[in-house]
Amino acid sequence: MELKICHLYPDVLNLYGDRGNIICMEQRLRQRGIDVVTTGVSVGETLRASDYDLFFIGGGQDFEQEVLLGDLANGKTAEIKAAIEDGKTFLAICGGYQMLGHYYKTWDGQMCDFTGALDLYTEGSKKRMIGDYAFSFDELPGVRVVGFENHSGKTYLGPGVSPMGTVLKGFGNNGEDGTEGARYQNVFATYSHGCLLPKNPQLCDYILKTALQRKFGEADLAPLDDTLENAAHDYMESRLLS
Amino acid sequence: MAKYGIIMRMKKLRIILAIFACNLVKKLIRLLGRGGTDFPGRVALKICPDLLGHMAKGVTTIFVTGTNGKTTTSRMIEQVLADSEISYFANKSGANLLSGVTAEFAAHCTLSGKCRYQYALIETDEAAFKHISKFVHAKAVVVTNVFRDQLDRYGEVSHTLENIRLGIEGCPDAVVCLNADDSLCTSLADVLPNEIVYYGVNVPIYVSRVFELSDAKYCIRCKHAYEYRYVTYGHLGGYYCPNCGFERPKPLVAVTEVTKSDAEGSDVTITVGDTPYSARINLPAGYNIYNGCAAMAISHVMGFDLKVASLALGHFTCGFGRMEKFHIGSADLRMILIKNPAGCNQVLNFLSSISEPYVFTACLNDRAQDGKDISWIWDVDFERLAEMGDKLSAIYVSGVRAEELAMRFYYAGVPREKLHVEKNYDLLTDALTAQPLPVYIMPTYTAMMDLRGVISKKYGFKAFWE
Repeated sequence: MELKICHLYPDVLNLYGDRGNIICMEQRLRQRGIDVVTTGVSVGETLRASDYDLFFIGGGQDFEQEVLLGDLANGKTAEIKAAIEDGKTFLAICGGYQMLGHYYKTWDGQMCDFTGALDLYTEGSKKRMIGDYAFSFDELPGVRVVGFENHSGKTYLGPGVSPMGTVLKGFGNNGEDGTEGARYQNVFATYSHGCLLPKNPQLCDYILKTALQRKFGEADLAPLDDTLENAAHDYMESRLLS
Repeated sequence: MAKYGIIMRMKKLRIILAIFACNLVKKLIRLLGRGGTDFPGRVALKICPDLLGHMAKGVTTIFVTGTNGKTTTSRMIEQVLADSEISYFANKSGANLLSGVTAEFAAHCTLSGKCRYQYALIETDEAAFKHISKFVHAKAVVVTNVFRDQLDRYGEVSHTLENIRLGIEGCPDAVVCLNADDSLCTSLADVLPNEIVYYGVNVPIYVSRVFELSDAKYCIRCKHAYEYRYVTYGHLGGYYCPNCGFERPKPLVAVTEVTKSDAEGSDVTITVGDTPYSARINLPAGYNIYNGCAAMAISHVMGFDLKVASLALGHFTCGFGRMEKFHIGSADLRMILIKNPAGCNQVLNFLSSISEPYVFTACLNDRAQDGKDISWIWDVDFERLAEMGDKLSAIYVSGVRAEELAMRFYYAGVPREKLHVEKNYDLLTDALTAQPLPVYIMPTYTAMMDLRGVISKKYGFKAFWE
């Protein structure tokens, strides 16, 4: 068994420890005897989405986002859209999450067209939504995801997507409607870095299972010793929610 | 006229009162056994908002700013000032915001607000720089480097750059020393009218380097990817843009040779113009070579004797979490303050370069001064620790976010049995002082303050605040 991960723009969208999510997915697969190969695809490189099973897109700086918009339009957007409709698994965080939407409108009214892969859009605000936060994850009842958010964009979901869950503490998508993240087909999109997956092992395994099921039709992930992971999770959960 | 006289007298009274209150509050806080507070300066500013401007009048001031290396560079320049027998005072590294700098000036003034020293050496936080330079007009400014720092406070590196630019805008007459090897730093020359002096390192400084994400991969002028003739560390080195031609300027003050670099320090040649100066840099690790070069650049700009300056680098004292040594019983502890991935990676570069086995300790807090967002620990190449094998005998993990840091080390490939989580500083100190091997302790700022408190209480060290 082998899973192929594509890390999109690893050298540009790398602002908030996003590398940790890749490290986490790789190790949790290998510990189950599943091979994994991660390939970085960056600016100027051709993306052949059919080569991969799982895509990761992280967050970046505004300065570099401009570099990316041109590159996305140059072929990658079409590949990403096709892969999403084909049921490939995506994890997109913060800037990567916003980029999957229709557009980003800055607080002073400038429009930035994004990929439009997901039915959502983002509007800039002057106030940054920043801090540790927690949200429920609807598909795993009882699981409370902890992370760190840092965004000035407010994201609003269209009818074509559902949220990942409900904000328990913090701001989430926009600080208004209590939603956090977006789900569509096998896309998982969230504002949570911090880094997300290592201290939310159940969410990590759920995403890995989604990709494995798509590829092999079934996926059974043996339990791991998650003592350290749970300790990191539980510390933040109790600090935020008790 | 009479009215003007009254206003002037009121003003003078205000200054006296503010300085008096500031110094009194500071003494009271010390009596209570506290340190590292900006409260005295805030009191002074409440009474007299432009107090700093009065006190700084006529004082020849040097500013040191940038992401990493401010304190070490300042201590090096301080040694140059002392050895040159110049009358000066310097602020402590913890007092680098407007309130702190105000309190430091107040402590070195007469009650009427006249500074008792000819020179002031001021280390300033990048974000606070513009508020300080509004009142203090420097003769020289040195920018050490610009790296991705605590993102929750400073935002992106472009914000840090803009803050530094605004700070320098307050010093129109200052000569600005910029790190030639840092493309973010040199880009400031495009937007500053000031006279610029570049300093830099002409040769690689590490035999092997950790994996690092570049904080400046794309050309700041045209957004094309940079290429490098050589890299010293991080995004520093001989960069050039093949598209628009933006490139590392030739530095006037340059490290032209590194002859030796070990666990105690480095031997280098620093060339100013055409004149080479041999220097021993009294602190280990390659990034301190940059700090030494920055200190030489300032010495050149200020017209100090460069022979004296180069010798000063060999015997300055830094301490306070900059490879600071503690000998407790037979234990050999070294404290290295960490603030961001760039700084942390340089510590790992250093640890890879030493040959004897050691114990590693890391303490991670997530309070405002540490950075509330700890995601950067995933950007640091801790995988390097796992590669060190038996040379790394154990890792102790502490601080508010110890659990997450321990998990990071585990995912970096460090075996579980080498990891010891101990959040209680009392017990941690007991464990560390019982080690037969050298212990390198890497705390974030508030974790360091907590740990120092425990060490000073337990082992009778005099309270040590900066």
